[in-house]
Amino acid sequence: MKRYLKTALRFILFCVIFMVILMLLSKVFVPKDNQKSAGMEAVQSNGILGEPDNTMDYLVVGDSETYSSITPMEIWRQYGYTGYVCGTGGQHLYDTERFLAQALKKQSPKYVILETNALYRKTAYEKVLKSQLEKYFQIFRYHDRWKSLTLNDFTGSVNYTWTNDYKGYRYENKVVPAALKDYMKQTDQKAKISAINQYYVEQMIKLCRKNNVELILVSTPSIKNWNYAKHNGIQALADQYGLEYYDLNLMPDQVKIDWKKDTRDKGDHLNHTGAVQVSDWLGAFFHSKNTLTDHRQETAYSQWNDALGRYDQQIADGTAYEISHCKK
Amino acid sequence: MKSYVAPLYLLVFLPAVVFLYNIVPKKLRPVVLLLASYLFFWSISGKLILFLLISTFSIHHFGLWLSSLQEERNRILAETERPERKAVKAEYIRRQRWVIFLAVCIHIGTLLVLKYTAFFGQNLNSLLALAGVDWTWKIPKMVMPIGISFYTMQAMSYILDVYRETLKPDKNIGRLALYMAFFPSMMEGPICRYNDDAVSLWEGRRSSVQNLVFGAERILYGVMKKMVIADRLNIMIKTLYSGYADYDGGMMVVAAIAYTCQLYMEFSGTMDVVIGSAELFGIVLPENFKRPFFSKSISEFWTRWHITLGTWFRDYIFYPISMSKPMKRLTSKARKKIGNHFGPLIAGSIALFVVWLFNGLWHGAGWHYICFGMYHFVLIASANAVEPYTKKFLEKLHIRREEGGYKCFRIVRTALLVCIGELIFRADSLRIAMRMLKKMFTDFTFRSFTDGTLLNLGMDKHDFLIVAVSVLIVLVISIANERGICIRQKLAEKKVVVRWAVVYGLILFCIIFGAYGMNYTPVDPIYAGF
Repeated sequence: MKRYLKTALRFILFCVIFMVILMLLSKVFVPKDNQKSAGMEAVQSNGILGEPDNTMDYLVVGDSETYSSITPMEIWRQYGYTGYVCGTGGQHLYDTERFLAQALKKQSPKYVILETNALYRKTAYEKVLKSQLEKYFQIFRYHDRWKSLTLNDFTGSVNYTWTNDYKGYRYENKVVPAALKDYMKQTDQKAKISAINQYYVEQMIKLCRKNNVELILVSTPSIKNWNYAKHNGIQALADQYGLEYYDLNLMPDQVKIDWKKDTRDKGDHLNHTGAVQVSDWLGAFFHSKNTLTDHRQETAYSQWNDALGRYDQQIADGTAYEISHCKK
Repeated sequence: MKSYVAPLYLLVFLPAVVFLYNIVPKKLRPVVLLLASYLFFWSISGKLILFLLISTFSIHHFGLWLSSLQEERNRILAETERPERKAVKAEYIRRQRWVIFLAVCIHIGTLLVLKYTAFFGQNLNSLLALAGVDWTWKIPKMVMPIGISFYTMQAMSYILDVYRETLKPDKNIGRLALYMAFFPSMMEGPICRYNDDAVSLWEGRRSSVQNLVFGAERILYGVMKKMVIADRLNIMIKTLYSGYADYDGGMMVVAAIAYTCQLYMEFSGTMDVVIGSAELFGIVLPENFKRPFFSKSISEFWTRWHITLGTWFRDYIFYPISMSKPMKRLTSKARKKIGNHFGPLIAGSIALFVVWLFNGLWHGAGWHYICFGMYHFVLIASANAVEPYTKKFLEKLHIRREEGGYKCFRIVRTALLVCIGELIFRADSLRIAMRMLKKMFTDFTFRSFTDGTLLNLGMDKHDFLIVAVSVLIVLVISIANERGICIRQKLAEKKVVVRWAVVYGLILFCIIFGAYGMNYTPVDPIYAGF
């Protein structure tokens, strides 16, 4: 027994030392800036890290539907509310939760919009485990930086300098019409949300409550990805946790999407004209809440007006989104 | 869990099973292994676990059936007069062969239907089109339970050993089930033999500290081979094989060598993880690799590469054919006509041909796999045929086979021949393989090495450097193993600081230099698909 105890203690010591090594190395390997050249992943979404602390009124999290459907600059233009889209393509909820937790460390928004498409994404336990490893030991995410490590990585600290004029939105003016169909045919069926996805929604609810943020569920228009059974599933989830839920697919009088003009890929995602409509609705929705302040005249937010100018210029040029457009 | 290097397997499943295995009473330990194996199978193939269960139940039944026939025969033989015994034996051989026939129909039949329907269907449709028949067979889509090629071969070896009476059939279906499904070897082998492995699997020995340390070290070494080398080479290999038309012969040589390296590192690395996993339970699985790239001939190579497959083909195909009565008659006739060297070669070559035909087909349903088999058949058969002349030639030149220079030449020559075979094996079709080979010999230049093409295939100079360093590590360890030095034993004799430093170093080497995460697509377990 004594021998086994000794072996077990040795094993525990081995693991503890190993974890300390991993933590130290994670500090070395983590990018010291949030730009691609510094090795940062998902730079568009991680542009939030370069925003001044506590300047966001709202955050949008989710998958590609977020950055295709919501353009914060339009909301700024009309209402002077600040927001950022932290969505990435094909995002799983464990990443959504990670992005949200990371953003809430520096920001204290009033609202978090969770776009619901990611709630139906299949999530393998394997990927969850990898994501958890990456969350606690960033060396797993950024290990490939061994190719570009400099002395500064060993001695310097993190300093995020970059942000995004589009505030996470990805401009796309292409039009590829969708075949018209009644994709929101009413049904009593309820699409099931997997246990793992439900777990991450719960984590996000807890996180928001802890930070005094209201979590709102929004389904942005998508012929390809959405249907009534999914709507029912999300509605049930919203009822269960007491969340507000808005399905824009069922609100054609407020968000008038023309599937012949407002989509870039046959109804999978919206294009810019579609995104402007969704953003108009979201801005009006925030306005109706009467809880946010119009910052347009505040000098502390002057960079938003500058960014709006550049944003308008690029939209007028019809330039597709590129990071180079958005560098400070 | 799609592979043995998946974090879910290495960090959750395997430690949990090892822990559970060691805390339950001895009697329950094999049950833990069996349940864990079924859970593992189910996590990959879901409902297809039914195939494995049916296979296990049926092979258990066939074993007992054969055994009852053998007992009945022995009983009757004891009561029968000598002159009639031959007829009784013949009758019972006939009956047993029927049982074997049924077992083969069920097991090999299932494998044939699931694995080869598409291949046969496509060829049938091509033939019909050639014959001008205006009809095509709509080929049904088949599902494949994981590891079917491996557990089917284990089932066949079990039933054939029972038939040969070198093995007593097991009444304990649990033991047989564990032999068929043991999770570390289920997906990619090694192909175990009942006589060698079933008992130790069912024994339920507690893991010793040495088992745990040695097992973990072996796993770590395998992970390094797979993640640092095989996965890092993956992008370049995919680029070269899918876009072969855009590159010159020099790059085709790179494609052949890189894929051979990847296949070896992936498969032998996985075997290290598999054998290391079993070692954690105190179970010794047969080795599948024995430093194959130190081989001096192709036939030696195949005694060092995928050893358990080779011995299976040897025991259940080569020997039964070459030792069969018609072949023996052929050999004695041939001896008289063409001499003692070439005479036996004819029967041997026929058996060898069948072995390599099956070997090619076992690896996959495609003509390039058959061509891969035939390539090795031709190399081995021709080497056998010219052996006396080679011997005389070397004697005349006073060259000793085991001498340094000539030995090196043979090793390099064998490795290059293997690389050509692996190019055929990896190419998407036989036609593409032939085009790539043609390029290799007719369009060979060093241009791509100097004009930047090589560094534009998805690997930069850092990647090449890390692959080179890792291959060097594997080479040094292989040389030590070849000289009979057990690195793990040597390490165990060192002070704890040194031991831990080496293990930390290897783990960190895998974490930092492993090709995973953003920008990488790890290679799928290659042999799991066979």
